[in-house]
Amino acid sequence: MLQLHFTNDTLPDNVSTDFQNLNKFSEQQFVSLTEILYQFLLEPKESERFLHQLTEFAGENGMSAGPLRALMKSVLLLPHGALKRNLTAEQVKVDLLSLGLNEEKASHFSDQWRVHYPVLSRLAVGQTLMVNQLVDMEWKFGVTVGTSELQKTGNIFLQLKLVIRKGNTTENVYMELTLPQFYNFLHEMERAKASMDCFS
Amino acid sequence: MAFLTEDQFTALQLLLKAPSKDVVRQICADSFPAGASKRQSVIEKTANSLSVSSSEAVQLLTAFHTVSHEVVYQNLTSPEQILSIFPESFHSNLKNLITKILLENSVTWRNDALSNQISLPKLVDMEWRVDMKTASDSLSRMAVPTCLLQMKLQDTPCISGGPSESTITMELSRETLDTMIDGLGRIRDQLTAVARK
Repeated sequence: MLQLHFTNDTLPDNVSTDFQNLNKFSEQQFVSLTEILYQFLLEPKESERFLHQLTEFAGENGMSAGPLRALMKSVLLLPHGALKRNLTAEQVKVDLLSLGLNEEKASHFSDQWRVHYPVLSRLAVGQTLMVNQLVDMEWKFGVTVGTSELQKTGNIFLQLKLVIRKGNTTENVYMELTLPQFYNFLHEMERAKASMDCFS
Repeated sequence: MAFLTEDQFTALQLLLKAPSKDVVRQICADSFPAGASKRQSVIEKTANSLSVSSSEAVQLLTAFHTVSHEVVYQNLTSPEQILSIFPESFHSNLKNLITKILLENSVTWRNDALSNQISLPKLVDMEWRVDMKTASDSLSRMAVPTCLLQMKLQDTPCISGGPSESTITMELSRETLDTMIDGLGRIRDQLTAVARK
């Protein structure tokens, strides 16, 4: 059985065949296909665009769109697994060669991997679970001029609105702080930032 | 400017029946909170200490409540200002005693009013923690710091009911924390600018 870096599972036969079929593309075609693939990896929400580009490519190169899409679906398994396992470009190339891709194409694909890896891994970090993520903060501060109990006052207040993502919806949290509380809050947040900066 | 009606001033003079100055002080303190003149326990206590009827006690409590709240509202801080509220015919010693009590308490009452005014839920406590994410389903190895922030808020209704506390916990990435500190820094700069004026 093939020992691959990007996955521990046994690949279904059609996947190995699909990788070998990549050899049939010309250099130019392979470069274009690789570009389409990486564009999709960098913007994973643009699946409509990805499929559209594949259909266009198929038309321009005289092949049917269906099999091309199936082929790319197999090919995607490699970058997805490689990202998850923090693989280097060398490891990606070795896997491609093991799967039967020729030297030239394997080099090109792994070079592109090296180029795009920092952005791809930042994207993966961004997709990592966050609990009650703070997405926005709005504030206003003002002076209380009078109340029903006190005709004239001059109290400073600070109001914060924090927007928190809870699953698919957001929740707004409103609160009021006195000035000393505000300065304490700022001080604590700066301490937290200093603590985080220790890790960079 | 007439704070009270003639009847109310008459009701205040019921305080002359108090056995001691401390009793007067106590009644004044009891009458200040909202709704005091409707509370059975307060009415009874007042009626008993002055040996007057319940209805007279209610009149007295209402009158004193009105006077003390007006003093706080208008921020009358000098004895002359308070003495001028009373009519000429008012008992002189009682007038001085009431003025003294009002002056003694008005600072506390004013501060209480400030801290109990209408507001959004108040921040009462906050805690933070910095964690390091080491793995996830999208990356089997990572080293990403993240900040967890917990804030305790207390909402005190002005009118009735007790305070309700709520806790909110949230997670901030490094970028979010930086942006937040930027925003807070801008608030601090504006506060400094306002303070200078």
